[in-house]
Amino acid sequence: MRGTFKLCFLLAVTLMLISACGQAAPTESPSEGEQEASESAGQSADKTTLVVGLDDDPPQLDPHFSTAAVDRQVYQNLYDKLVDIDEQLNFVPQLAEDWEISDDGTVYTFYLRQGVTFHDGTPFNAEAVKFNIERMMDPNNGSPRAAELQSIDTIEVIDEHTLEVHLKEPFSPFLAVLSDRAGMMVSPTAIEEKGEDFRNSPVGTGPFKFVERVRQDRLVLERNEDYWGEQPQLEKIIYRPYSDENVRLTNLLSGELDIINKVPPKDVERLRNESGIVLSESGALGFQGLYLNNKDFPFNVKELRNALDLVIDREAIVNVALRDAAIPSAGAIPPGSWAYDESIQVKERDVEAAKRLMAEAGYPDGFSFTLKINPRPVEEQIGQMIQSMAAEAGIDVELEIVEFGTLIDQLDNFEFEAARLGWSGRVDPDGNMHPLLHSNGSINYGYSNPEMDELLDRARAETDPEVRKELYRQAAELAQEESPYIFIYHELDFTAYKDNLKGFRHLPDTMMRFHDVYFE
Amino acid sequence: MIVFILRRLGLMLVILFLVSVIVFSLVHLTPGDPARMMLGQEATPEALEALREQLGLNLPLYIQYFNWLTGILQGDFGVSLKDNTPVLSILLEKLPVTIQLTVFSFIIALLIAIPAGIISAVRKGTKWDYVGTMFSLGGVSIPPFFLGILLIFIFAVSLGWLPPSGYVEPWVDFKQSMLLMILPALTIGVRLSAELTRMLRSSLLEVLQADYIRTAYAKGVMEKGVIFGHALKNALIPVVTVSGLQLATFFGGAVITETIFAVPGLGRLIVDAILTRDFPVVQGAVLFMAVAVVVVNFIIDILYSILDPRIKLTGGQ
Repeated sequence: MRGTFKLCFLLAVTLMLISACGQAAPTESPSEGEQEASESAGQSADKTTLVVGLDDDPPQLDPHFSTAAVDRQVYQNLYDKLVDIDEQLNFVPQLAEDWEISDDGTVYTFYLRQGVTFHDGTPFNAEAVKFNIERMMDPNNGSPRAAELQSIDTIEVIDEHTLEVHLKEPFSPFLAVLSDRAGMMVSPTAIEEKGEDFRNSPVGTGPFKFVERVRQDRLVLERNEDYWGEQPQLEKIIYRPYSDENVRLTNLLSGELDIINKVPPKDVERLRNESGIVLSESGALGFQGLYLNNKDFPFNVKELRNALDLVIDREAIVNVALRDAAIPSAGAIPPGSWAYDESIQVKERDVEAAKRLMAEAGYPDGFSFTLKINPRPVEEQIGQMIQSMAAEAGIDVELEIVEFGTLIDQLDNFEFEAARLGWSGRVDPDGNMHPLLHSNGSINYGYSNPEMDELLDRARAETDPEVRKELYRQAAELAQEESPYIFIYHELDFTAYKDNLKGFRHLPDTMMRFHDVYFE
Repeated sequence: MIVFILRRLGLMLVILFLVSVIVFSLVHLTPGDPARMMLGQEATPEALEALREQLGLNLPLYIQYFNWLTGILQGDFGVSLKDNTPVLSILLEKLPVTIQLTVFSFIIALLIAIPAGIISAVRKGTKWDYVGTMFSLGGVSIPPFFLGILLIFIFAVSLGWLPPSGYVEPWVDFKQSMLLMILPALTIGVRLSAELTRMLRSSLLEVLQADYIRTAYAKGVMEKGVIFGHALKNALIPVVTVSGLQLATFFGGAVITETIFAVPGLGRLIVDAILTRDFPVVQGAVLFMAVAVVVVNFIIDILYSILDPRIKLTGGQ
């Protein structure tokens, strides 16, 4: 009996010791966080705190160094941009009250809003903008924004609230660039004081300011009482990451969350009929389909690319695999864009024509290739559909599941034949067409056509939207003829929230802005 | 005893050194370039090269390893590639969460396994034994991701008794923290308890055959006294060893369970870090877990000698 007691005692002591270490280590957790944590647990009935379920954990909070899409969700409420977009993708003033573009399209004059301060009290002015842009362009900083801003030649401060940006050559997508991360203004004094640590304690001018972040658990913002615009009604925003889409949805339904982003297609129908939940839908900016390795066989042969393009039934993929939560695609520009042209038609499936093309190119018995896909159920389903569609024309598709990081690496090294990946898209059509189809494009895998390059270069420099639209139409037509990439569908973006949440605007950039949101 | 402890400590260092080499090599042999992951698909080749240079990824692997190891010996685990936070502070932030989950799971496992194992062994061949055996077979067979989702569905969605997922520190809101821990701890605990039940049952059955048990009965000791006073103590010795070894299995289960239940512990940290190729974080977290397993096994070895004097630690004499 004594032995048993000794054993139990030892066990108890060990457990106590372990749990004691557990308690002792992180007591430095700020007291402010405590309150939020319990609020977010859904017990509190207060209607000034918004709890948001995100599809991933935002890696870091400096917009000038961010590459993750989910980071941008938080930035919308933490930072202001020089210009913003509206539902129709028009540019609207934010930190720049007004702007002028010179006739030759190379000088952008920005008239900045007055009386704006950063969360740390630093005044926002033309010097601050210059500091921000130069910070992103400085090659020593290694900012991912540098590529977007490489058209800039010089920046000139005219007076406290006026700024001129001189471009090396006309670059029409410039305002669009400033409506995203490159246009977000961070506090120059905070950068100087905090250095690298700015990524963990950001300072902007936005309607909400940073409180705390606990990796993979929560990210808390509170109302900026000194906001230049109308005060937001919410007092606090708590972002919680849920990488599992089912868990994210479950938490919305059980009341732990007020709003979630990226509702998976399989749940769209169910949420439409769920009482107490609003399902909001918007077209997104990107495109989805197949990257082809245009350098090596089989897809260095134009006819074989065309053949694959022709065997795919886009309607079927959208209906079955995506449960109608997408629309068939005809090109890089989604229907919501001003540059979208209806004359570019979605390709109809035509197996006979595909067979003819293969025979003409000298491959009457078809060919085979490996399609790399990401490890997700929807991707596997799309892959299998393409596999069976291609088989009817004698094209033998082998599927290989490759995790995203590895896949990107393999694309860079041309270690692939085809890969199922898309592009999240940009506000300006240039951001969708140029990277994909221009010889120097960053997501172009071996396609090079001087005619295409010229069209895209001209469209980029042109300032008249009508002329630009025509140039993009020609480029889209050429892309359909050559099929360097197989466009399959444009995503629709779904957000779901509780029906007592009002004032939410769903924009095509899929970013959730909470300035105007309130509870009823 | 001291010689034994010193020898075991030496062995621990060798094991940890080997683990560090293996972890480092595996992480760096994985395809996927951290610079690429950080700069995204649009990155220019110059920017990529500059970033690789800055992160020290262009150095030969053995130099990178050497730098990493010397850093660790000085308590510097490097910084996260994503946001420059020191890896050590990230790990210290996550560790208590995982320890809390571990302790909870073990408590649940023991609460189930000890009575179930005893009943199974003592009532061998009866329906009680079959129920216990079936439970342990089921517990070992059911994959944690499935059990986790099943539990969420039953207790959070259908019945609404417990919150589906999330985490609150116990010193912030004790009740909520406990409620949130129940489902994930159950998911891991059921499996642990299934293994422990089987272990306890067979070891108790073996002990009950021993001569001293017969002697005890012969001397007129009641059954309860025999089991709790004589048999259980000896039967628990192998069980303690096994529960130590289970810590390694536990970490495997935690990776899945923490993802399903959105528990911000070491398991989820590793998954996220692997997906974003945050090498220093992956290395640090795996090394941390390796240290935990090795240290716990060391403690178990010592406990063993205290529990069972037949085992001579000095070896030989």
